[in-house]
Amino acid sequence: MTGRPFDGPVRHLYVHVPFCRMRCDYCDFVSRALDVSGGRAGAEAARLLDAYVDGVAAEWERERAAHDVRRLRTLYLGGGTPSLLRPERLERLLELFRPYLTPHAEVTVETNPEDADDEYASWAAGALVSPATGAPRGVRVSLGAQSFSPALRSVLGRTAQADPAEAFRRLRAAGVGNAGLDLIHGIPGQDADLLAADIAAVLKLRPDHVSWYELDVVEGTALATRLAASRGAARLAGGVGRVTALDSTAALDPAAMPADPADDVRATGYRRIVGELSHAGYDWYEVSNFALPGRRARHNVAYWRARPYLGLGPGAVSTVGARRWTNAADPVVWAAALSAGEAPPRTPETLDPETRARERFLLAARCGERVPLAEVAAVVDQDVAGSLAAAGLVSLHSGTIRVTRKGRHVADEVCVRLFRSPHLRG
Amino acid sequence: MAVVTSLAHIRNFSIIAHIDHGKSTLADRILESTGTVATRDMKEQLLDKMDLERERGITIKSQAVRIAYKAHDGQTYQLNLIDTPGHVDFTYEVSRSLAACEGAVLLVDSTQGVEAQTVANAYLAIDNDLEIIPVLNKIDLPASNVPEAELELHELTGATHEEILIVSAKTGEGVDAILDAIVTRTPPPEGDTAAPARALIFDSEYDQYRGVIAYVRVIDGGFAKRQLVSLMRTDQDAEIEELGYFGPEMKPTDRLETGEVGYIITGVKDVAQVRVGDTITDKKRPAGEALPGYKVVQPMVFTGLFPTEGDKFEELRDALEKLKLNDAALSYEPESSVALGFGFRCGFLGLLHMDIVRERLEREYGLELITTMPNVEYHAYLTSGKMTVVRNPAQMPEVTVIDRIEEPYVAASVLVPTEFVGTIMELCQGRRADFVDMKYLSPERVEMHYKLPLGEIVLDFFDQLKTRTRGYASLDYEYSGYRQSDLVKLDILLAGEPVDALSLITPRERAHLRGKALVTKLRQKIPRQLFEVPVQAAIGNKVVARETVKAVRKDVTAKCYGGDISRKRKLLEKQKEGKKRMKQLGVVEVPQEAFLAVLELEPGDKDR
Repeated sequence: MTGRPFDGPVRHLYVHVPFCRMRCDYCDFVSRALDVSGGRAGAEAARLLDAYVDGVAAEWERERAAHDVRRLRTLYLGGGTPSLLRPERLERLLELFRPYLTPHAEVTVETNPEDADDEYASWAAGALVSPATGAPRGVRVSLGAQSFSPALRSVLGRTAQADPAEAFRRLRAAGVGNAGLDLIHGIPGQDADLLAADIAAVLKLRPDHVSWYELDVVEGTALATRLAASRGAARLAGGVGRVTALDSTAALDPAAMPADPADDVRATGYRRIVGELSHAGYDWYEVSNFALPGRRARHNVAYWRARPYLGLGPGAVSTVGARRWTNAADPVVWAAALSAGEAPPRTPETLDPETRARERFLLAARCGERVPLAEVAAVVDQDVAGSLAAAGLVSLHSGTIRVTRKGRHVADEVCVRLFRSPHLRG
Repeated sequence: MAVVTSLAHIRNFSIIAHIDHGKSTLADRILESTGTVATRDMKEQLLDKMDLERERGITIKSQAVRIAYKAHDGQTYQLNLIDTPGHVDFTYEVSRSLAACEGAVLLVDSTQGVEAQTVANAYLAIDNDLEIIPVLNKIDLPASNVPEAELELHELTGATHEEILIVSAKTGEGVDAILDAIVTRTPPPEGDTAAPARALIFDSEYDQYRGVIAYVRVIDGGFAKRQLVSLMRTDQDAEIEELGYFGPEMKPTDRLETGEVGYIITGVKDVAQVRVGDTITDKKRPAGEALPGYKVVQPMVFTGLFPTEGDKFEELRDALEKLKLNDAALSYEPESSVALGFGFRCGFLGLLHMDIVRERLEREYGLELITTMPNVEYHAYLTSGKMTVVRNPAQMPEVTVIDRIEEPYVAASVLVPTEFVGTIMELCQGRRADFVDMKYLSPERVEMHYKLPLGEIVLDFFDQLKTRTRGYASLDYEYSGYRQSDLVKLDILLAGEPVDALSLITPRERAHLRGKALVTKLRQKIPRQLFEVPVQAAIGNKVVARETVKAVRKDVTAKCYGGDISRKRKLLEKQKEGKKRMKQLGVVEVPQEAFLAVLELEPGDKDR
């Protein structure tokens, strides 16, 4: 760690692709459903995607110059559904950044199983070449599996999805050397057996990396509405009918919608995932992330170490030094500004030194990374740190503090306890 | 301005009533009908100045207002209305106000009849030799039962049918008859206009710019602006900067004459120098004798008040000092708790008083406080023959050196419809009460007398009384001395560490059950912690009950990438803010309400 949080030259770039085939029911990300099936709607979608790629090119030019970005160590295409851009447009995007990528740069493309056909797989496997040997190096693929159970996927509203295991095997067969899986647990109806099945499926595929998130039912999403409706229906029916057999229609019928798992069930599931993946040789290096040796997501690690980063695309967030800004979320507004030679509308935020220190700590806490106490002395209460150390939740060692694996399960509460009151009234 | 009103044209009176019998509404109506306050300036419960008073619909501080009333004899009289609080906690305020009056309107809700404080207040008025004007209120309500209530009032005061007025303070019906009765039935003040000046301070208020504002009743002689005066008990000399009357806001005048009620500002800032009950006299021509004054009020209930943030101790001290200026009954002394740090052990008249003070400290002074379990003052007699005063369970000496413990008892009277006699007996038995006697006020109403430990009343006796009698019972009590009891100290341990602020003193025969109920309550009150926390109750070294607060198993959001950091941070900051009302005891975070958990025990938990 050099200097203060988010200080230093920008070496990490995120590109937000705000398009999906259809919106997943749990999603609260910036994304827009596009019909890419062809025909008139398809032609319009193509125009929108082209405008998007042009917008990224324009924004990159502006930002690269503004922040004097000379090299990129990591590039992350996230969404949304970046794979929806197909190899042709992805290639156009990649072309923008290739001159700046360091020889061993990590380039990640979030991919949906239905996009991972043979053409896509071979593009992903050969998109980059090793500068030393000229051999194809490929990009890092993060495959959005969510669950291997079609019933659970349909609860999430992902009804049209291809089999993620097959998609993963296809990527591997084409030669994608660094492939990870994105999964969700705590899905309504996901009992211990269904979770065990997902864990077994993951271990069988042996991805390089696993991101396994607890389902967060965000208010206002379709899933939240459906869960609320099913709770109402269960009450009306005079009790909770236990839903044993899940089928693909379950999601459509509120009365058949399984209940949200209790917190304890989620906690147990989470511990089980951590336990089994760790046992299988995966390093639990962040709350929801696991990697085989040498396969951590370097881009995300940069966030968690509070390195400066730029975000391009609608809704993307950038943080450089004390400044953070969020692009306008509407792709049309965003693209229109850029094509007119202007910066897209942005919401700025200024981070004071204490805020930066707090963020530095809360990010490190999630990874169990050591932080020199001197860097966070203004925001972390050392007495509380002492008592949490006695309970084994943090570890204090030669002037540094680290949240232990035990503490990582409750990292939010650990941070809240450690933080001094932000607004001391005086 | 200085129109001197002759003594014969002054009437000083109070309105006394049981709580909720409509006193403030009647005062409002009187102010309105006499034009003291223009109708457009009326707001409800005008004399209740504090926000808290208006919100809760109770009067806490007495107020005085001068009213010009043109009577039926065609002459204009100066009426001074001194408003009084209605709650039993504030009886002492009532007695102070009454000492400044010659007459009292005894107001009774005709839907309720005579209540315990009606009785207590009537006796206070009789003790102060006041002319009582009995009035039945709320006759506009369908539930109003005038004949029944009249009978009760007659038995209490001896007043005849003709003497008992019936009104609706809400509609204003009959209010003029009250004013007329005040003029014709209340005697004018007796005082010597030529004698050396004497004025009784019956209340005071502290103003941060002007110092102490003394509420006075001039007994003899008169006072003028710039006059040099002295306070007879504190021997403090001062010059009158301003004097005047309340109309109802402060109206300066040139003089206050014999018999009049008003205020005097001397610029004295130290409230201790301008004591309620003291006598103001002329410096150059002092009176020979001070007025009787008041008996010093004894706080009955004690509790620890601690700032949630340790560095607010000085602020709390300042705030208490200021409140004390207006509230003679409040007492406080510094206290330190292992668990809660530095704070004050405060003495109150009762639970309502405690509640009001706490709320004023939080609201008017922006303090966040932890209140510990209220308790009474115990006297522990040691084997050495010495006596230790115990106002805080933590002060209780070791069992081995205690010879006996005494606790304060009260004589309580409960007025209740006859159908609830059994209910009251059952309740009182569960509270270690000794039955004294009972007498029928009428075939439907009975007055029951008990002697019971004050410690039982300060918990939830009053609430229980009201709940179990559907609100029909009323209570009045007075201190009746100390008696020996078999009491023990019950300690509470969190994560194996005793928490002094949670200790309580309890009768030995109920210690086990109370300990069990308390740890159960605490387990419910204390949220899950980062690790398992045993909650234990112990008498001496013996653990009598145990529960466990479970550990949080998971508390961390799944995603936190570049776009989530601000939201995540703000969420944690908000959570931190929400913890302000939590107290860190060692490794355990305890919400403030937990310190009062014992007050919330199920009635059954305490009675059995």
